[in-house]
Amino acid sequence: MTNTNRSGVREKFIESARDSKILTKKCDDCSTIRIATVLYCENCHGSKYNLLEYPGIGYVNTFTIHTVPPEGFEDVDGYAWVVFTLDDVSIRASGFLPGIKKPADLPIGSKVKVNGFDEKHGLVLKKL
Amino acid sequence: MENVCILGAGSTNYGKLNESIIEIALSASVDAIESAGISPSDIKAGYISNVFGVADKQVHIAPVIMSNLGISHVPGLTIESACGSGSVMFREAFANIRAGFYDCVLALGVEKITHTGTTQSTTLFSYCSDFFYEGGNGASFPGLFASIARAYMTKYKADEEDLAHVAVKNHENGLLNPKAHVRKKITVEDVLNSPVVASPLKLYDCCPFSDGASALILCNEDFAKKSGKPYIQVIGSGRGGSPAAVQGRKDISTIPGTVIAANQAYQMAGISPKDVDFAEVHDCFTIAEIIDVEDLGFFKKGKAAREIRDGATSRKGKIPINPSGGLKSKGHPIGATGIGQIVEVFEQFSGQAGERTIKDAEIALTHNFGATGASAAVHIFKKVN
Repeated sequence: MTNTNRSGVREKFIESARDSKILTKKCDDCSTIRIATVLYCENCHGSKYNLLEYPGIGYVNTFTIHTVPPEGFEDVDGYAWVVFTLDDVSIRASGFLPGIKKPADLPIGSKVKVNGFDEKHGLVLKKL
Repeated sequence: MENVCILGAGSTNYGKLNESIIEIALSASVDAIESAGISPSDIKAGYISNVFGVADKQVHIAPVIMSNLGISHVPGLTIESACGSGSVMFREAFANIRAGFYDCVLALGVEKITHTGTTQSTTLFSYCSDFFYEGGNGASFPGLFASIARAYMTKYKADEEDLAHVAVKNHENGLLNPKAHVRKKITVEDVLNSPVVASPLKLYDCCPFSDGASALILCNEDFAKKSGKPYIQVIGSGRGGSPAAVQGRKDISTIPGTVIAANQAYQMAGISPKDVDFAEVHDCFTIAEIIDVEDLGFFKKGKAAREIRDGATSRKGKIPINPSGGLKSKGHPIGATGIGQIVEVFEQFSGQAGERTIKDAEIALTHNFGATGASAAVHIFKKVN
């Protein structure tokens, strides 16, 4: 169903993440797919779209492990902040991956999965 | 269209400063006014860049500065673009002189942050990211650049020693800058053995949190000539943007906003990268300088690390980079940094740079960005003999 509603998109994105999915938009005019929070198509700037959910499974493009974390993350015993590309569509997302203590634990290309959305830590990932 | 000139420049020391944000800002402003040989009454508008004024209990800084300079009737504008605030603000000052709205303006950048401590500063800086996707998921600013570093190193087979060479070179330059925050000679081994902040970046890969202010007097060429004082000319100006979140970039090893801004500035100046005699670039982290000098066209993509190791960017190299010491050594008071880079160009071209003077330089470039390059600006300057 074509949609132009622009309110509540973050909440919808979060709902999808809680269901281990990434919410995207497919442009009605040029079929370009973008992350759902971007309002206009990045290719043709059209505003009409269909919401599409993709399985939140992908591979790691890059990451870091913080020794000096920002406020709210000091209590986590080792985590990576990860940028990953979805397997089913060429869309990147990023999230919080707990349990990673050293770079060798997460080679580039490792498979990760969206594992929910946490009020404190945002988009949570799990290593597959 | 008016030719835009810089008639005066001033800067405080960069580092941990005890004075209030307003006192720091006024100190640099007065230095710039005296350097230009003008009176505050010559200033027709004030452009002020600042990010974290709230941390020192002062926002809406521009009218406070104007009032304390005794020109409260003069319009002021405060501009925020994270770490790129200074150059983004400079662009607006430049544009207003160029368009003929004003003949003389003050461009002032200021920051006061060190009193908040490392944890609070790290958190405040994370608000400059696309917080929903980055800061809110646990990414600090060192973390964001660390992820960019890992992507670059993976793509181009660079290593941590390549990053270290940037820090060593900039610290060597900073030793010659009496206003630099971190005046300390370091070795590659020092960098590699320093504590990891966000892998693969270590402490010496990161610039410090700094307080400080820098100011410039911009004017049109008629005003500059009538003053009888030495001046330099702004011959190119470009602005570009990048996806605010790293995840939105097709290639994580480049900063699109830099490329866009540089192309605009080169086109306006009618020059190419090979015509630039030295540059002050945004080295908030060592990886940033490597990516910057490629995106600015000084080296091909993937080749800068080797060139830096071979000395191409040292003060006597083929394209000296950050003779001031850069953000890495001179310091990074984020609202002031973009203006501080231009103060360095003014000092270089007016015989005030002492031992760090780049011999026979006539064309210089400054490059500054906000966050991970979401807001970028490039400016090009010409020495006027």
